[in-house]
Amino acid sequence: MAVNDVSMHIDRGRIHGLIGPNGAGKSTLFNAMSGLVPISQGSICFEGVDVTHLPVHLRAPRGIRRTFQHVQLMEDRTVLENVLVGMHSSISTNPFKSVFGLGAEGSPDKAAREAAREVLQFLGIGHIALTEMGGLTIAEHRFAELARALVARPRLLLLDEPAAGLSLRSTEALDALLVRIRDEWGATIVLVEHRIDLVLNVSDVVTVLDNGSIIASGRGQDVIEDSGVKRAYLGVDEEE
Amino acid sequence: MRISAFFEARWFPALFLLFLLVIPLTTNNYFQFVINLVLCYVLIGFGQQLILGYAGQFSFANAAFMGIGAYTTSIIFTLNVPILIALMAGGLLAALVACLVGLPALRLSRVYLALATIAFGEMTTWILTHWNSVTKGGDGMYSPVPVFFGYSLDTDTERYFLIAIVCFVMVMIAQRMLASKFGRAFIAIRENEMVASCNGINIPLYKTIAFALSGFYAGVGGGLYAIAVNYIVPDNYDLFQLVIHFALVMVGGLGSMYGVIVGALVLTTLPEVLRDFQHYQEMLYGVLLIVFIVFIPRGVAGFLKDWKILPREILVHGWREEIPHVREAAKTAAVFNVGAGAEDRGAEH
Repeated sequence: MAVNDVSMHIDRGRIHGLIGPNGAGKSTLFNAMSGLVPISQGSICFEGVDVTHLPVHLRAPRGIRRTFQHVQLMEDRTVLENVLVGMHSSISTNPFKSVFGLGAEGSPDKAAREAAREVLQFLGIGHIALTEMGGLTIAEHRFAELARALVARPRLLLLDEPAAGLSLRSTEALDALLVRIRDEWGATIVLVEHRIDLVLNVSDVVTVLDNGSIIASGRGQDVIEDSGVKRAYLGVDEEE
Repeated sequence: MRISAFFEARWFPALFLLFLLVIPLTTNNYFQFVINLVLCYVLIGFGQQLILGYAGQFSFANAAFMGIGAYTTSIIFTLNVPILIALMAGGLLAALVACLVGLPALRLSRVYLALATIAFGEMTTWILTHWNSVTKGGDGMYSPVPVFFGYSLDTDTERYFLIAIVCFVMVMIAQRMLASKFGRAFIAIRENEMVASCNGINIPLYKTIAFALSGFYAGVGGGLYAIAVNYIVPDNYDLFQLVIHFALVMVGGLGSMYGVIVGALVLTTLPEVLRDFQHYQEMLYGVLLIVFIVFIPRGVAGFLKDWKILPREILVHGWREEIPHVREAAKTAAVFNVGAGAEDRGAEH
């Protein structure tokens, strides 16, 4: 069992860091929250509604979005096209509106393009909107994927190792952006990340998983000082 | 001025329609017949491109959908139904069958889907061959001379206008549809179904839509093909026809709307140019397929885009309106060095 008897409450408008050694169950918990992994027991509630058995594609319109540990983008398409995939639920499915542009909205993708432009400029990558992913850096990939998750204004943003492969400078930019996403965009963020400094910098609450169970939860600095956490996660025994 | 800018101009579709309408002034009967076939294969190619190039589904049933469209159009038209309605009926029946064939795609992985759809194609050929009372069996059937608003389309030139107008309208619709959330959803599914569903895309629904649209284009293309060649036999829709469909999208360019047109142009005219080597035609298609899959996976359209002869295909309505904003953002990025800038490139690669 990858995750066992885990009970977590994530406060609205907070950044919740989730750390633990490899194999602790972080990704499984993350996948369960986004609906990719079914759970055998228990429930998952989002904004007071039980979403345990809600199909994955119906969680996005409710405001749950995520990024992936290994960036998942359409490599032969532009940044803009990738970001607009995140707007799928926000664009009318009626082909007369979304294909032929009939109706009050006018040009079918206009509102979606404006939303994409805003988020790309917010993340500082507006200049590569029309560039194909293939020739871009890892940082640009990470930011483009973040833009796709952010473009539909999610209320819960699940970020799976967003700093993996980033340079120090890009990590600092990400650090500032995560705080702004919480404060200015009002999103709740769950952050799985191996870079402890980033997690401690931005998280309001940090939860530590080990062997599929929670071993500590609280303010970042308190949690990191916990002897159990040091032993399990950092491999340090207090008596040493 | 880049050549691609010519294709990107707002007035290009109108100019292209005008070009289509004046073509018959420059052709003889034989050349006109070949052009009619090219246009039929443009629609048929779109059907294959939609399901394979965009949605990434290994469907090998499009030759059968084409056959269903061809036979349905011909049979319904003999009941004195207007030709446009007969064509739509052929397309709709092919779309309906494609939806049913697509059902296994919701569960089957690539190889198994390919095998299931090949089996369906063979079954369709068998039915067309043995359902004598309806299809006239292996002897084939004449497609009646189409009548368009009381005007009998006896010659290839007269039929051309019907084929060209239907083809033009359907290509315009395909272009708009692919540039919308539908086209982006198809590609997202092709790339990674898990990621697509996390972004709110209903995978079973959009796969079914892709199959239906693919079947519809193959069906209408098949109906026009029946009108163009005037005589249809079940053998027209066997495995070799499927090889033509695959060769068309591979040679033209997988996942490219322009690629379909280029592929139809090349693969319909090439056999006519090489008529003296007709026995080697199947081998020629096979060799072309292998060469393009191995050495030129982006097809002729990919080359033409690299040389800026064909324009970029960005699946967003009105994406050119973003160009000034991108330029403006580039200035800001250069001044403030924000976000994930070019400075990172050296460090991370």
